[in-house]
Amino acid sequence: MLKGIIILLAFFLGGEFIAQLFAWPIPGSVIGMLLLFVFLLLRGSLPKSLKHSSDSLLPFLPLFIVPASVGIVNHLYLLQQDGWLLAVAMVVSLVLGIPLCGWLMQKILKSHGKGRAK
Amino acid sequence: MHWQAAISTLWQSPYLGLLLTLLSFQLGLFLYRRTGSQPWLHPVLVSVASLCAIILWSDLSYSRYMDSAQFLSQLLGPAIVALAVPLYENFKLLKRYWLAFVLSNVLAGAFTIVLAVAIVYLGQGSEVSVNTMWTKSITTAIAIELAPGLGGVAALAAALVMFTGIFGSLIAPSLFKLFNINHPAAQGTALGVCAHAVGTARALEMGSVQGAFAALSMSFMGLLCALLLPFLV
Repeated sequence: MLKGIIILLAFFLGGEFIAQLFAWPIPGSVIGMLLLFVFLLLRGSLPKSLKHSSDSLLPFLPLFIVPASVGIVNHLYLLQQDGWLLAVAMVVSLVLGIPLCGWLMQKILKSHGKGRAK
Repeated sequence: MHWQAAISTLWQSPYLGLLLTLLSFQLGLFLYRRTGSQPWLHPVLVSVASLCAIILWSDLSYSRYMDSAQFLSQLLGPAIVALAVPLYENFKLLKRYWLAFVLSNVLAGAFTIVLAVAIVYLGQGSEVSVNTMWTKSITTAIAIELAPGLGGVAALAAALVMFTGIFGSLIAPSLFKLFNINHPAAQGTALGVCAHAVGTARALEMGSVQGAFAALSMSFMGLLCALLLPFLV
């Protein structure tokens, strides 16, 4: 467990370091995630301690986003001003986006599969 | 007995925000499970709504709340790094599907994001709203970290992603039926791209293949958007 936490923190700080070093506007955590993913691919297996730590940490990810989300109390004017517009934008993009994504994937899978069968 | 002093110590305690967050989240989890996982009763929504109510209607300010709940926010970074683990575990599933997966993520993802941003822009939404809308197809944790750098607001990004997640999970099954989308991998991917974490939970209820693909496309979209958006926007 402890080893897994050390790995996660090390990759997180490594990501922050790289983001600063190259002055990339990318969150360090995302770079850390990418690096860890590449590391796991190269290693070819998942360390038990890392699996254990991520399994204990990830179910609480929704909890970790709560404090930042509560910050909306300081931006209620944004919702008053643009709330309807934002809602319409999201509903329209969802109603079109979900079928498009599913249809596209299904279409490519089918034509790809046929191509292979020949 | 010193009731007033004791109560005021409790109210001023640096642990109060942490306790309130955990309590409200637990309440959310309880309601969510009791109602058979209704997307609109998502624990995050219940928790955030009740904390907002407390902050608006009591003299607990957001900054004092945040000082206390900071600890939870700080775990966000390492937890995002941990997302590499399920990504790695599900990665072998992509072997046969990778081309279809990448293409539909990139094309449909770009389509929904640009469409949503265009609507807010053309509807003359404020600049902050337009900037924040760019994060709509990223899982909340990453959206929160990315939004400020794009000129948006982290909390609004969280609210938008939450809204898409809940609404998307609610309407996805009817859309799948209407448009005859029955391939499990396609269903999962569509839910992951458009409805993120809430959609992934929903996809898992439909089946393990749907769940795995939703998780994959959630991580993939998160990574892709976080790597590209800061340079494009």
